[in-house]
Amino acid sequence: MKIRYSFIVLIVCLFAFKPADEKVTIWLVGDSTIAEKLITRYPETGWGMAFQNYFDLSKVTIENRAKNGRSTKTFLAEGSWLPIQQNLKAGDYVLIQFGHNDEGKGERYKDRSTTPDEFKINLVKYIDETKSKNAIPVLITPVSRRYFDKDGNIKQTHEFYSDVVRGLAKSQQVILIDLDEMSRKLYQKYGSENSKLLFLDIAPNQHPNYPNGVTDGTHFNEYGARLIAELVLNEIKAQKLPLSKFIVNSN
Amino acid sequence: MNKKSYLALLGVFFLLAFKLSENPKITVYLIGDSTLSIKEKKNYPETGWGMPFTQFFDENVNIDNRAMNGRSTRSFIEEKRWEPVVSSLKKGDYVFVQFGHNDEISTKKTYTTPKEFKANLLKYIKETRAKKAIPILLTPVARRKFDAEGKVVDTHQEYAQLVREVAGKNKVLLIDLSAKSIELLQSLGVEKSKYLFNHLEAGQNPNYPDGKIDDTHFNELGARLMAQLVLTEIKTLNLTLANYIVKPAEPKK
Repeated sequence: MKIRYSFIVLIVCLFAFKPADEKVTIWLVGDSTIAEKLITRYPETGWGMAFQNYFDLSKVTIENRAKNGRSTKTFLAEGSWLPIQQNLKAGDYVLIQFGHNDEGKGERYKDRSTTPDEFKINLVKYIDETKSKNAIPVLITPVSRRYFDKDGNIKQTHEFYSDVVRGLAKSQQVILIDLDEMSRKLYQKYGSENSKLLFLDIAPNQHPNYPNGVTDGTHFNEYGARLIAELVLNEIKAQKLPLSKFIVNSN
Repeated sequence: MNKKSYLALLGVFFLLAFKLSENPKITVYLIGDSTLSIKEKKNYPETGWGMPFTQFFDENVNIDNRAMNGRSTRSFIEEKRWEPVVSSLKKGDYVFVQFGHNDEISTKKTYTTPKEFKANLLKYIKETRAKKAIPILLTPVARRKFDAEGKVVDTHQEYAQLVREVAGKNKVLLIDLSAKSIELLQSLGVEKSKYLFNHLEAGQNPNYPDGKIDDTHFNELGARLMAQLVLTEIKTLNLTLANYIVKPAEPKK
């Protein structure tokens, strides 16, 4: 018994001294277009949900902290950023995609909207605090809404706020993924009608979560979320970010 | 501890034991092939329709998806995949049976003659009923195949018809998924129907670096649309199961 006891003590000691988890973490920070959804909202799907399916999770951890309805301002104010900032390790990545709720107009967005200047200041805060931990910020322009003109051409839906992100990426020398641009190209490829297949667009009496149907040109279904995740994954590879080595079948 | 409180405690234990042993849940077993099975992550976005189907029911229903890639009515039995289903069946459970894709191809190892196919379906039905559970037969879900005029080609004609016959003769509830899915593919047409299947360009998806053109297996969208077709038929047939379809959450503002 005595021997067995000391053996257990030894094991416990070994565990205590085992270095902290050295796995790189990819933090996803943003709004409903990325966020995990409740099963009661399916098939609404954030692109972060599909994104994590394509990483080797034995080598990297994905933390999808994006939340429905958040702007750069409310994500900070409510304390969603703080625990991320505190837990960041050197070599971690922070993927930041905001804009939908920052640019919102009217009563519904009163509590969350930001001016382009505020938007910029907030993004700089995310960038600086990420860099101060020797982690790597990645700026992502807001994924486009599905909005076509009468001639079937996709229209910009985030003009000013995407430009702020692009400008900041340049001035702060931050990696940029121009998802706004890439997603518009994708919708254009599908066209006005077929691009509905990517969004939460359901006729009445088809899906039990939406008995009256739903028409949403902002939020993705499981298919759209995966296509958007593929755009981000392929851009990570195209820019040869060190992050690409964690994507499955990347070698 | 006095004798009284000891007995009370014992009583509580008995009640708990009873409570745990009685399982109020209905289990719906799905047996069949790759078109409904659960996929490994490395094969995503390929999706079986049984995967989203699970999300349509509330806590009173347990969907147990036992479907396996590549199986026919015969190989499913031979590999002893049916036995454990039978032994765990309880009164009021359902068994959804959808085979055909691997039965009907004469060059496949899993090939089953029409006669064997009917006999195997009958075995599933009888053994389900012997446990006072409810068998539901489904005709095989359609492949994406169009003729030159843009009309869907029924690739399961013979075996789908066998399922209908067995259902009719044995008074088994039938979900004619073959017909319903052909209707859906027809309404979408040659081009748009591609978006329901595992069609991937080279370099598009990390799991398929060389791309993929698969007109049999669904992606996540196609799987969900097929599952919705099955759900609609469950409502039409007025199955008890329909009482346990999830109710919508409070409407979003």
